[in-house]
Amino acid sequence: MRADSYWLPAVLLLCAASGAADEPRVTHLEDGRHERVPLNTVAPAYPSVARRERIEGDVQVCFNVDRGGRPYRIAVRTSTNRVFEKPAIRAIRASRYQPLPEGQPVPAIKTCRTFRFRLESTAGN
Amino acid sequence: MTIARFLPLLMLLAALAAAQTPAGQSGAVAKTVIGPGNADLADGAAALRVGNAEDGVRLTERGLMSATSRRDRVAGYSNLCAGLAMLGRLDEALQACNRALELDDGYWRCYSNRALVYLKQERYPEAERDISMGEQLNPNARTLKTLRAMYRDAVDPVSPSIIIDDRRETAAGDAGR
Repeated sequence: MRADSYWLPAVLLLCAASGAADEPRVTHLEDGRHERVPLNTVAPAYPSVARRERIEGDVQVCFNVDRGGRPYRIAVRTSTNRVFEKPAIRAIRASRYQPLPEGQPVPAIKTCRTFRFRLESTAGN
Repeated sequence: MTIARFLPLLMLLAALAAAQTPAGQSGAVAKTVIGPGNADLADGAAALRVGNAEDGVRLTERGLMSATSRRDRVAGYSNLCAGLAMLGRLDEALQACNRALELDDGYWRCYSNRALVYLKQERYPEAERDISMGEQLNPNARTLKTLRAMYRDAVDPVSPSIIIDDRRETAAGDAGR
């Protein structure tokens, strides 16, 4: 019986384990000074590997919003760690803004959103 | 986050750790043969792998009685450690792990098994020491990374938090960096 036949389940198991993260607590900060009004703001998932390794970081993503409120031309502007970039982009892609009424021009200016990924100690809770 | 949350994982990890083979080969890819001459040890490992701890322990104990090579004995005791841990017989599991490490102190899987036992016993300094030993022997082992995470969650639990910052001042400030 060859031991290497046991590797596959181990990999599957560890993948499952790494997905067992808590739902993050989400805080949304706004100043109401953007051209487009958020309609449905999706928070990114905290990457399990970052949580495991106790990594925190920030990602700023800038994008255009079309008339219907869908973000497009999404790009990372600044990032402290690449591990957070994909979840940030996914979150923007899934988010929506209020559609513009007919006749109102679509602003050419990009909208930017910063995601701050933090880990709060719960020791003693 | 408490260790209790990981109990199902602990069981499975133990089984999977058990299903590996002995050492001497502490390298990252331990492709060895589990006791080709010892059917009980091999069957015991297979039983542990599918979570059948009772049969796994029974067969492994039987296999150990006829195990002659050091390699088979190391594997047997390490697997026994994992199986006993699955059954919650932690003190006996610890003894089995210690036996395996007495025979071969370069077997990272056994450090991994023993770390698991220590974590279940909430003996965190000992768990950390064994995880570190395992990491020295095999820095890339995913099992050890999971154990490290379990250890961190036990001694310093954290909860993820995400701040979505739409403030224009922040955006301008960040862009100017």
